[in-house]
Amino acid sequence: MTHKLLTGNAAAAWGARMAEADYIPAFPITPQSEIIETLGAWVDNGELESRMVTLESEHSMITAAGAAAATGVRVFSATSSQGLLYAMEMLYTVAGWRAPFVLVNVSRGLASPITLESDHNDIMAARDCGFLQIHCANCQEVFDGVLMAYRLGEDPRVRLPVLVNLDGFYLSFTREPVFLPTVETVRQFLPPFDAENIRFTASAPESQAVAVLGGGPYSYFRYQSHLAALNGIAVYDEIAEKFSEVFGRQLDAVEAYRTEDAEIVFFMVGSFATKARDAVDRLREAGQNVGLVRPRLLRPYPAEKLKALLKGVQGIAVIDQNISMGKGGVLHSELASALYDQPDAPVLASFIGGLGGRDISAEEFYQMVADTHKAVAEKTTPQPRLLYTENELREIRKLQAIAKVEREETSAHSLSVKQNPPVSRKESHE
Amino acid sequence: MSEQHFKRMKDLPSTHLLGTGTPMCSGCGALEALHEIYDVLGEKTVFVNAAGCMTMLAVYPFTPFQGSWLYTAMASASAGAQGIRDALDILLEKQRITAKEDLEVVVLTGDGSAYGMGLSATSGVMDRNLNFIYICYDNEGYGNTGQQYSSATPHAAKTSTSRGSRGYPGYKKDLFSIWAAHKPAYIATVIGSEPLDLVRKVEKAKSMTGPRMIIALSPCPTGWEFDPKESVNIGKLAVKTGIWPLKEYIDGKVVHTKVPRQRPPVEEYLQLQGRFSHLFKPKKKVGMIAEIQARVDQYWDGVTQEKTTQKSEPRSENGNTPQ
Amino acid sequence: MYRIRFHGRGGQGIKMASRILGTALFRSGFTVQDAPKYGAERRGAPIFAYVRASQQAINERGIIQHPDLVIVADDTLVAVPAAAVLQGISNRTIVLINSHQPPEVWQDRLNIKANILTLPADKDIQDRAELPFIGATCAGAAAAVLGIIGRDKLRQSIKEELASLSPTIVQKNCDNALQAFDALAKHSGLVTEGQPLSAIDFVPPEWTLLPFEEARISAPNIHASDTSVEVKTGLWRTMRPIIDYDHCNKCWWVCSTFCPDSAINVQDGIPVIDYDHCKGCLVCVGVCPPHAIEATPEHLAQQQEKEESTTGNTDDS
Repeated sequence: MTHKLLTGNAAAAWGARMAEADYIPAFPITPQSEIIETLGAWVDNGELESRMVTLESEHSMITAAGAAAATGVRVFSATSSQGLLYAMEMLYTVAGWRAPFVLVNVSRGLASPITLESDHNDIMAARDCGFLQIHCANCQEVFDGVLMAYRLGEDPRVRLPVLVNLDGFYLSFTREPVFLPTVETVRQFLPPFDAENIRFTASAPESQAVAVLGGGPYSYFRYQSHLAALNGIAVYDEIAEKFSEVFGRQLDAVEAYRTEDAEIVFFMVGSFATKARDAVDRLREAGQNVGLVRPRLLRPYPAEKLKALLKGVQGIAVIDQNISMGKGGVLHSELASALYDQPDAPVLASFIGGLGGRDISAEEFYQMVADTHKAVAEKTTPQPRLLYTENELREIRKLQAIAKVEREETSAHSLSVKQNPPVSRKESHE
Repeated sequence: MSEQHFKRMKDLPSTHLLGTGTPMCSGCGALEALHEIYDVLGEKTVFVNAAGCMTMLAVYPFTPFQGSWLYTAMASASAGAQGIRDALDILLEKQRITAKEDLEVVVLTGDGSAYGMGLSATSGVMDRNLNFIYICYDNEGYGNTGQQYSSATPHAAKTSTSRGSRGYPGYKKDLFSIWAAHKPAYIATVIGSEPLDLVRKVEKAKSMTGPRMIIALSPCPTGWEFDPKESVNIGKLAVKTGIWPLKEYIDGKVVHTKVPRQRPPVEEYLQLQGRFSHLFKPKKKVGMIAEIQARVDQYWDGVTQEKTTQKSEPRSENGNTPQ
Repeated sequence: MYRIRFHGRGGQGIKMASRILGTALFRSGFTVQDAPKYGAERRGAPIFAYVRASQQAINERGIIQHPDLVIVADDTLVAVPAAAVLQGISNRTIVLINSHQPPEVWQDRLNIKANILTLPADKDIQDRAELPFIGATCAGAAAAVLGIIGRDKLRQSIKEELASLSPTIVQKNCDNALQAFDALAKHSGLVTEGQPLSAIDFVPPEWTLLPFEEARISAPNIHASDTSVEVKTGLWRTMRPIIDYDHCNKCWWVCSTFCPDSAINVQDGIPVIDYDHCKGCLVCVGVCPPHAIEATPEHLAQQQEKEESTTGNTDDS
């Protein structure tokens, strides 16, 4: 075992290397490219016995990945943002092939406007496609997550491809200490891929991914993928235990940090969760009972675990680094639906922030808790808060001036839609 | 490479590998070509399919194939072939399968995918010199959705999206030349109505490695509006009138495998098809027909010049074609 | 509400029949729904279309489970389970079959309680170009037995629906449809409106808890070859090619090679047509060098087969 400084991208590449992926279809995109460059260098110098092919698009890349997995080899691939969206048709398609492989997504905000920096709208767009999703908070988790993903996706009770998500820049280009086991140790955890009867060979003709006619057969296949994904919760627990045995690290499906007696908890995914962890410590020092709940596993959705962990909590500050236009935060909607039937369900306060790499400051974390406390005290569900400061507004005004935007300062306020007053919790449930 | 197997029409297979019971239209020219091709390629194949009419060949739980099949999507069948070929190579290299388990990877797409949405992926696999066979069944329109025009639609053809009195204003894209610019191992045009020419080319393709590209013009009773029984007749006329040149590309050279000596006027081909009926009714559009004829003539003039300037391979003539 | 289902084959104008009837009902003051239902099947394959008509708003959608009137454009489909012609019929359903056989024969053959009428086609359709006219004929027949559409409304609807076709074709469709309308006028009003499904004594849907099955079972994969042989595409055939072995010169490759459906195989040097799968495209008829293959209308061929088998002539070579 070695302990060294690795970027999140390098950790992902090491995951693929240690999993002894046979095949790596690739396509470059910022901030993912370092992953395929790292793997490419290993393939070129003979350190990695894999075949790597750069396709001409992510759509083709995912097609090749799925087709190779359907032929019976272990496949690794990686993309980001626009690339994930360009491949979206194939994400849905190959998931239905039931041919597992691991796809790393380095989260980056989506156009328009085009940006290079991180947020989660890309990965959230893929939430319904049939890929399972593991979300990482640090570089060690990226490495670990890739190994977990293979074991999870290849399990006969699951057999679905798995997305491992890490935040662009905050993890992809950030070096952190990472423990790397030996290949032999990894083999104890991850056996070779058994393609079972889903493969192509001359002696066993097989027509894969064929069309269906009629809603009955179609529903059967779609339901089966869903049931397989749901199996992923129990299977994940099982392999997390095995993981901890072999590697000594605990990778629960849901991280619960200082939640035992928490009145208010942060709820979020990804690398900013470590900032939330810090905020929890500072707030605890200040005498507030605050905790953090962070799903590593977002698909399948660990609803029962969340219900159990959030029982007795008074308020939850849900932080979404994504935005569903005209609705709000995706994590918020999903958590609300999971907790809907809970007696004395906590107040959910929705905060949308961290879009396109925007920081979420410690002060903002503290204020979110204050706002959530207030909502609990007033028994109201606050309007979703779009994190944006006066200073940021002043900055954009300067940019607009240079861009020669015609804007009447005086009418700016009159044009804005009047915000609704907070609704009482009773009303909001109707 | 040998052409020993198929010297005469009598050498063509009399039993057929492609199964019956497919939902292709009665008289389908694409299915005719495919079953002739499949007899040569055999069951040690995996067909990688893009969205099109032929997607319905394999509808759960029915397949007409003796070998394997994977449906991908409209744009990326070639990329699917890349994944399967690479995976098979890996399995062979790592000795996880034996050589006898290996398969020939065959892409099967319509013109909608080949000429349009799938062209980028196909260009990519040719760049990467993928060892595979590509079959485009070209029925000159988006047939599976009701024959809207595609970039393979010929000039003046009426389609579901070019119903005007002059039909489709564009011209059929020269996919053969676009492919040839990639310098793949082999390219051929074929048609089901010329089975001897077809099987010779498929056999040649089978004996080679690298990208081997085949376009099969596929007379389509439904989309071209003719009685199914005319399928072969129309195919033969496409060749005789010079509308569909039978040719192949090897080592940078294009050779015509069947040069129609006396080309009957294209009218004979056009007038049998409802999609060109507006060229004849209510009044004959002499100018438009002449333009189509002129383009065909111009093509073959070029071929004759080619022949005089470069030494082309001696071509074999088809013998006992039924007339 | 009236619930009407048309059955026929791709290419017989079944969708057009439903549109003509839909328009005629709409023009007669009804709220209407009409739609075709087709899968991947092509010309010749069994298809159906349906029409709903009511004086009130129509909230039902999709396939008609319990029709009041079923019109069958092609009698060879009646006995084909895949065509589902008889699905959901009760003893108050009127079944109108385009057939040479009288209703009594069908009553006897099908052993059903439903009220059967036939619309005898005036002549055999030899030319497949004529096939689409069956649609309008069926629409005319349906209009007659419904008894709620006037002759003029029917004519106007045909003209409206076929507006894009040439005047001669429109006229021919009109003539056929009105002829059928007149022929069945004596049954006017035979069809009655069906009642909505009761919410009190309904049969529960038998929902089941879908068990999880591993991907080796539940992936959309076929782990075998050549299973499509089980699909009897021979049912699509309206014309049957028959080889006259006295004239067949046993060249053995021509018909067999050109048959798009691999439905002609050569056994001991002799081509044999697989009628279970021959779709009747008649490509073989056109390509046979000595013209030894002839086309016969399918129903005549079937009749002939039946006669041969009843007269004890079972020589099937």
